[in-house]
Amino acid sequence: MIDEEKPISRRRKQILWIVRGIFIAAAAAGALWLFVGYQPPRHKVWPGREKVVFWHMWTSNWAEVVQNIVDRFNESQDRYEVVPLTVTGGSLKTLIATSGGAPPDCMAQWESVIPAWAERGALVPLDTLMPPDEWHALRDRLYTAVRDIGMYKGHFYGLSTGMNIWAVYYRPDHFREAGLDPDKFPRTLEDLDAAADKLFQYDSAGRITRIGFSPRWLVQYVAVFGGSLYDPATDRLTFTNPRNVEALEWITARADKYGFERILQFESGLSTTMQASWPFISGAFSMVLDGQWRVEQLAKFAPELEYRVAPIPPPKGGKPLACWSNGNFMIIPSGARHKEGAWAFMRFWSGVDKPERAAEFYTWGGWLPITPEVAAAPIYQAYCNKYPQFRTFLEVMASPNVQVTPPVPVQAYMMNRVGWAEDAALRKTLSPRQALQQAARETEREIENDRVGKE
Amino acid sequence: MRHRWYIRLAIHAALVALAVPFLMPLVWMIGTSLKTDAQVFPKEVVTTVPQFLSQWWPNPFRWANYPEALRYVPFPIYLRNTLALCAANVLAAVASSALAAYAFAKLEWRGRTALFGIVLATMILPGEVRMIPTFALYRWLGWYGTYLPLIVPAFFGNAFFIFLLRQFFRTIPDDLCDAARIDGCSEWGILWRVVLPLSKPALATCALFQLLGTWNDFNGPLLYLNDQTQYTLAYGLQQFLGAYGGEWSKLMAAATVFTVPIIVLFFLAQRTFIQGISTTGMKG
Amino acid sequence: MARRNNLAGWLLVSPVVLGLVVFTLYPFVASLALSFCEYDIFTPPRWIGLWNYETMLSRDPLFWKSLGNVLYYTILAVPLGILFGVGLALLLDARIRGLAVYRTIFFLPSIVPVVATSVLWIWLLNPQIGLVNTLLRLVGIEGPTWLASVRWSKESLVFMGVWGVGGSMLIYLAGLKDIPASLYEAALVDGANAWQRVRYVTLPMLTPVIFFNLVMGMIGSFQYFTQAYVMTQGGPLDSTRFYALHLFYEAFQYLKMGYASALAWVLFLMVVAVTALLFRSQHKWVHYGR
Repeated sequence: MIDEEKPISRRRKQILWIVRGIFIAAAAAGALWLFVGYQPPRHKVWPGREKVVFWHMWTSNWAEVVQNIVDRFNESQDRYEVVPLTVTGGSLKTLIATSGGAPPDCMAQWESVIPAWAERGALVPLDTLMPPDEWHALRDRLYTAVRDIGMYKGHFYGLSTGMNIWAVYYRPDHFREAGLDPDKFPRTLEDLDAAADKLFQYDSAGRITRIGFSPRWLVQYVAVFGGSLYDPATDRLTFTNPRNVEALEWITARADKYGFERILQFESGLSTTMQASWPFISGAFSMVLDGQWRVEQLAKFAPELEYRVAPIPPPKGGKPLACWSNGNFMIIPSGARHKEGAWAFMRFWSGVDKPERAAEFYTWGGWLPITPEVAAAPIYQAYCNKYPQFRTFLEVMASPNVQVTPPVPVQAYMMNRVGWAEDAALRKTLSPRQALQQAARETEREIENDRVGKE
Repeated sequence: MRHRWYIRLAIHAALVALAVPFLMPLVWMIGTSLKTDAQVFPKEVVTTVPQFLSQWWPNPFRWANYPEALRYVPFPIYLRNTLALCAANVLAAVASSALAAYAFAKLEWRGRTALFGIVLATMILPGEVRMIPTFALYRWLGWYGTYLPLIVPAFFGNAFFIFLLRQFFRTIPDDLCDAARIDGCSEWGILWRVVLPLSKPALATCALFQLLGTWNDFNGPLLYLNDQTQYTLAYGLQQFLGAYGGEWSKLMAAATVFTVPIIVLFFLAQRTFIQGISTTGMKG
Repeated sequence: MARRNNLAGWLLVSPVVLGLVVFTLYPFVASLALSFCEYDIFTPPRWIGLWNYETMLSRDPLFWKSLGNVLYYTILAVPLGILFGVGLALLLDARIRGLAVYRTIFFLPSIVPVVATSVLWIWLLNPQIGLVNTLLRLVGIEGPTWLASVRWSKESLVFMGVWGVGGSMLIYLAGLKDIPASLYEAALVDGANAWQRVRYVTLPMLTPVIFFNLVMGMIGSFQYFTQAYVMTQGGPLDSTRFYALHLFYEAFQYLKMGYASALAWVLFLMVVAVTALLFRSQHKWVHYGR
C-alpha cells in the first residue's frame, strides 16, 4: 500500500509541536510529583510489637470498617500489631501463599473453606488455643449455625465475625392494594403462594411487570421444608430425602406456574446486587428473600420506603424460623507464625472477650452476632431499635432450625452439583427427584475418588 | 492513489456501522460512571427508541463519582507503581524478544528449530498448574514480597513477541541483510541498522501489547505483593467489587480513569503504527 | 541466503535460554511430576502413577464436557476472529480520512478492562433490557436469554470474543504496511482491479501474519477462561464450563492440584499436536517475502 504521509502545512506542523510540547511538559510535571513529591497518607504504626498479618476480603467502605476495628485492637493492648491487607479474588492468594510456606497469621474469608482445609491439616484448631473449660463454655453459647460452620470432626476451626440470615422482605403497600392484610403475613408456605398469586402483575403483552414471590436457591428451602442434604450421624449424603425432593418440586411448580423463561426474562432485567437500586425498592418484587444487610442499605438509600420482614413460613410439616446461613469466618492457617496474636485479635473482634465492647463492631458492618451476649449488649440493642426489622433476623439467628452447608471435604464440588440439580429441574432437563439423584451420584463418586486417591 | 468518491463513501459507511458496536463499551462505561447508582439499571423494558437512547444519558450527572472513586483506593500510589512496572516491562520485553526473534528469523544455527519449538511450547501449558511451583521458585530466590517476580522475567524474552517478531523479520528480504553483510556489517549491526528500522510497526505493536499486559495484570501483584503501598491500578480496580454487591457507577468511574491514559497514548502514537517502509535499494 | 552463524545465533538467544532454564524449567517439570501425584496443596504430594489420567478418561464426565465446550468455542471463535480481523484491517488500510480515530475505536475493546467489559456484555445480552434483544424486538423477534440459556451461552461468549478483535487487527495492519508498494504497482500495470489486488497481492503477502494469529488464536482459545470465570461460572448447566475453567476449579476449589496438572498436560499435548500440524502445513500456504 502506498505510504500514507500526506503533505502537512507548516502551520499545522507548528501547532502539532506545540501540542506535543504541552503534553510532554504536563507529563513530566506529573511524573515528577508522582515519583518524588507525593507522600501517601499513612496509617498509625506501632513499632516494636509482634506483627500479626491479617488478610481479608473486604473492599471499599467495608475495608474502612475493618481498619477501624484493627485500630481499636491495636490501641487496646500493647503486645501485638495487626496489619490488615485487602485480598480480593477469593482464597487463591492464601492457598498459594500457605502452600508456599508464607501464610498470613489469620484470614477472613467468605467461602467456607473450613472442611476442605481442616481435612488437610491446613488450619489451626482454635479449641487448642483455649483452656478446655473456656472452650466448652464458648461452644455452648454460640448460636447453632455459628458452631455448625466452625466445627469439623470435633474440632473448632473458624470463628465468625458476622453471620448472614435470610428472611422475606415484603411491601405492605402492595399487600393492601391486593386486598391482603400486611399485619397478617402468611403463616404457612401454602398461604404465601396464595398471596404471591394475588401480587403478580403483567403488561399488555403478557410480560411480567411485578413478581409476587419467586423462590430460588434450593438450600434455603431444604431448611424450611425440614429436609437435609447430609446426615452427620451416618456420615452419608441424603440428597434424595423426600423433604428435599418436595422442596425442589415446590420450587419448580412455582416457576412453572408463571413460566420459568418468563420469570428469568423479567428477573434478568433487574440487578439484585446493587445496593441502591435493589429491585425491591422499585417495586419489581412484592416479596423477596434476602439477607439482613439490606436493612441498613434500605435505611441509607430508601429511608421513606415502607417495608416489613418476616421469616419464611414453613409448609405443612416443615420447620419454622428456618433458613440457610453462612457468614465470614476467621481462620488461622497452620503455618502461621503468630497464632496467639491472631487468636487475641479474633476474640477481640468477635466478642468472645467482652461482648459488650465487640457489639459495636457488629453494628458497623450490619452483621449478626455470634452469641446471645453480643445480641443483648446495649449497643446492639440500640442498633436494633434504630432498625427494628433487624430483630426478625436476630430471632431466626437464635433458632435451632438454621442450616449450614454440610461439612464434607468435597463441599465446593457438592454445592456446585446441587446448584446444577436445581437448574436442571427448573429447565426440565430432569425431574426434581432425578436431578437430585444424579447430583448425589456425582458427589458420591467424587467423595469416592477423593478417598481412593488417598490410598 | 485515492479511491473514487463512492468507494470512499462506502468504506466510511461500513466503518461507521462497524464502529458503533465497538464504541459502545467506552460510551457505556463513561455514561455509567456519571450516573447515580440507582440509575445504572433501568427499571422498565425498553420498547421504544427514545427510551433506549435515554438509557445512555446520565440524568442527573453525578460528577462526584470520580473523586469518591479515587478516594477509595490510593490512586496516586497505584498509578506510580503501575507506571514504573510498565516502563520496565515494555523496554525489557521488547528488547530481549527482538534479539531472539532476529536469531530465529535471519540466522541459521544448530538447534534453531528445536529451540523455537520449545519457546512456543512454553505458551501452551495453562498457567494455573505452574502457579504453585513458580511461587515456590520465587520464594526460594527470596523474591516474594518484592517487585522482582513482576519485572525480571521480562528481561528474558516473551514467547508471544518472539513469535510475532520472527514472522515480521522473515518478511524482510534477505538480500538487504546480505548486502549489509557484504559491506562488513556484524549481525548486531544488521539487526540495529537494517531490520529494526524496517520493523517499527511490529515493535510498536509489541510495546503496546506489553504495556496493556502489565497495565492490566492483576494476578502478578495479587500473588507476589503483600503491602498495600505496592499494589497496582489493576488491583485497585478489583476493589470496587465490594463484599455485598458492586457499586457500579464508581467502578465505572475507576475503570474510565484506568482506561483513558492508554487510549490517549494509543491515539497519539498512531503514527508509529502506520509508518510504511521507506523504499531503499532492492525494492521498487 | 541466510548465513550459518552458530555463535551469533546462540548469543542472541542466550537471554531467552537463560530465562527458560531459570524460570520455566522447574515449573514445567514440577507440574508434570505433580500430574502423577495426588496433591491437595497443603499436604506433600503423593505418587499415584497414572490414576489421574485414568480418572480423566473414565471417572470424570466433566472432562469430556469441558473439552467439548472448548472445542466448540475454538472452532467458532478462531475463524471468525481471523475473518473480522483481516476484514477490518483491509478496510482501515484504505486511503480515507479519520483513520487514527477509527483505529482507536476498533482497538478500544482490548483496552477497556475485563471487569468493565464483562459487566457491559452482561448488560448487552440481558434478555429483558439489553441492547441485542431490544434491537431484535424492534424487528419483531423475541431473543433468547443468551448467557442464561444452555443453547446460546457459548455463542454469546464467541460474540464477545470476536468483538475483541482489535489486537489482531493491529497486527494485520502492521503486516499490511509491510507489503511493498512495488507489488501493487506491478499488479495495477497488469490490469488488476481492487478485489484481484487483494486476492493475489495482499492476502498472500499477509499469510505470515495470518499464520501467527491462527496459531496464537488457537492456543488462546483452548485456554479460554477469564470471561467464563467472571460472567457465567461455567453455567448454565455446565454449558460454559470450559476446559481451563474446569481445571481452575479442580485445582483451587476442589483442591486436586495433581488432577489439575494432569488435565493441563493433556491439554498441552493436544495443543502441541495441533500447532505442529499447523506449522507443517506452512509450506503449503504461507509466503515469506524474498
